[in-house]
Amino acid sequence: MNDLLLDVREVSKTFVRGRLLSREKIVAVNKVSLQLAARRPEILAIIGESGSGKTTLARMILNMETPTSGRLLLDGTDLATINGSAGRLAFMHRVQPIFQNPFESFNPLKRVERYLLMTRLRFAGTAGGSTTAEAVDAALHKVGLSLREVSGRHPHELSGGQLQRVAIARALLAEPKLIVADEPVSMIDASLRMSIVNLFRTLRDELGISIIYVTHDLATAYYISDRIMIMQKGSVVESGDARDVLKAPRHPYTYQLREAVLLPEVANVSANATSSMNGLISPGTPERRA
Amino acid sequence: MLASVAQPHGDQDVQPLLVVRDLQAYYRTSHAGVRRGIRAVDGVSFTVRRGEIYGLAGESSSGKTTLIKSIAGAIKPPLEIVGGSMEFAFLPGYGGLHRAPRAMVERIRWRHLSYIMQGSMNVLNPVRRIGSSFIDFAYPHIGGSRKQFEQQVVAHLARVRLDPSVLSAFPHELSGGMRQRATLALATICRPGFIIADEPTTALDVVVQKEVLGMIRGIQRETGSSVLFVTHDMGVHAHITDRLAIMYAGRLVEEAATAEIFGNPLHPYTKNLISSLPRIGEDAPRTGLGGAPPNLADPPSGCRFHPRCPLASEICSRKVPVMREARSGHRVACFAVNGDDPA
Ligand SMILES: Nc1ncnc2c1ncn2[C@@H]1O[C@H](COP(=O)(O)OP(=O)(O)OP(=O)(O)O)[C@@H](O)[C@H]1O
Ligand SMILES: Nc1ncnc2c1ncn2[C@@H]1O[C@H](COP(=O)(O)OP(=O)(O)O)[C@@H](O)[C@H]1O
Ligand code: SF4
Ligand SMILES: [Mg+2]
Ligand SMILES: [Mg+2]
Repeated sequence: MNDLLLDVREVSKTFVRGRLLSREKIVAVNKVSLQLAARRPEILAIIGESGSGKTTLARMILNMETPTSGRLLLDGTDLATINGSAGRLAFMHRVQPIFQNPFESFNPLKRVERYLLMTRLRFAGTAGGSTTAEAVDAALHKVGLSLREVSGRHPHELSGGQLQRVAIARALLAEPKLIVADEPVSMIDASLRMSIVNLFRTLRDELGISIIYVTHDLATAYYISDRIMIMQKGSVVESGDARDVLKAPRHPYTYQLREAVLLPEVANVSANATSSMNGLISPGTPERRA
Repeated sequence: MLASVAQPHGDQDVQPLLVVRDLQAYYRTSHAGVRRGIRAVDGVSFTVRRGEIYGLAGESSSGKTTLIKSIAGAIKPPLEIVGGSMEFAFLPGYGGLHRAPRAMVERIRWRHLSYIMQGSMNVLNPVRRIGSSFIDFAYPHIGGSRKQFEQQVVAHLARVRLDPSVLSAFPHELSGGMRQRATLALATICRPGFIIADEPTTALDVVVQKEVLGMIRGIQRETGSSVLFVTHDMGVHAHITDRLAIMYAGRLVEEAATAEIFGNPLHPYTKNLISSLPRIGEDAPRTGLGGAPPNLADPPSGCRFHPRCPLASEICSRKVPVMREARSGHRVACFAVNGDDPA
């Protein structure tokens, strides 16, 4: 048995973009390392600038993108050595994705329940008694939906939040060990958002699933994650215990992030009214926490 | 909230930009011989004033996008406007974009009204570079020399913190947040009088989000335009909207000045929504609302919130509560607040 579920060793990814004459090299991920222990499931939050490489890193962990340099190992197996459909299926059994924009991640022509039923059938080895439809319905119930409600619908016939919940249910059907969730709750209302992050916690505690939680929502990251990693321009600038990092940031960017969180409350209006000269909100508005 | 400066707020005699009256918008589908109607918007009335940012929040699948699509005239089967009207100041007499002649709607788009859809990829043509999308949509309205236009685009991109190099990229080569900002830049460059935005900042980190909101606020101030802004992020609402409406299961349940909603929420759903928000530094467990979200193909009778409402009484499952002014400028639809309404 391996001690590490996931071992990411100094991975980098470079993209080349633009027209022939004005080619530009973009270092999307720059020498990032991270480990998840096999015996101690945890929720790891990744927070960072828009365009800082979070999705690219997530896609490398999901084996959907090959690193330019560095290695990724799952249960001690190098992802680069996985090939053939059996190998890929076994990998997807262990690691499941939830993508950033559900509108882009579903095939618009395929009915949602077919998608779920097929997913379940593919992973049916562990079905343990329940029928395929029952398993799909049970997974949908965990995210506040039901098979009856989604059946017959195409992805665009569901709301953004519903579709994202379907994506989470789909990931659960594989009974994975690791879920890589890229901004999974950004299109979900606050109340349901809490239900879903609480569900992540239950998955960790009761099913032993580890979760990589990419998010812009610092408050839910604080609320559920064990560890946190802050990224800027492809590199990790700070990492550690989630509460410690967010309560007492060391890196200036972490501090800047925490200070930019918009609080759900309205402070004294007149105190704020003088800001916004050139359209930028003044950096010291008093509605923020000290 | 940064609002309320130099704006004709509460000034009811200025003609509002948009008046929505008793709008009903349903999805009519049939699957395997079973017909069903999803009553996604079911009797919604509100007004967007000139020069205000009107926010819309509410549960996932409560009908926010459907409402916005209806107003923006993006109505495709199976969506149907079943009843009610949407009267725009710049398009008087038609009762909605969907009833206006096509040529007229084309003239209005981008210049008077721009609509940023949820999922934002949709307006960016996947096989055209970002720069070409700007030329396709914005150049016809702005005109001038190509060189001047390019300079204007670059300056505008800077306001959302995008590098000019994105102009030569294809949409899939950008990160989600960069695409969102490109879309926002495209929708605002013609400085339209009315901006309708559905979750336009979900993929942005908080630092960039704050700047982008500042950009929207800046443009809105400079041009006196109105914005209809949908987001789940209550922090964003608190920061940028002037008034805020809360939607639940196809209906508005509460509406007031944003500060009033946060300071003195009256509807039980709104109260739960606000109290469920976690904060950095607070460790108390937070739970979402119990019970499942309602199925709009077969919504609960009476007040649609009654199966999940801690204050529900007998009347709530029998009668539909109407929106009433509980305090000045603060409307709410709830029997526990307004009492039994004989009307
Ligand atoms: N094209 C469609 N055909 C059938 N039903 C649809 C269609 N689009 C949306 N619906 C349904 O209409 C209801 C309202 O959806 P809408 O997208 O308006 O919600 P929303 O409030 O914007 O939610 P979210 O916050 O999750 O984006 C949902 O029950 C949804 O499943
Ligand atoms: N397929 C691609 N081709 C070219 N550049 C890409 C591609 N995918 C991502 N990038 C670039 O890599 C950088 C990081 O993107 P991404 O990982 O999506 O960021 P994040 O998820 O942190 O917002 C961005 O500059 C983006 O434009
Ligand atoms: S009308 Fe009744 S059920 Fe509806 S919110 Fe008020 S108290 Fe609750
Ligand atoms: Mg991303
Ligand atoms: Mg929506």
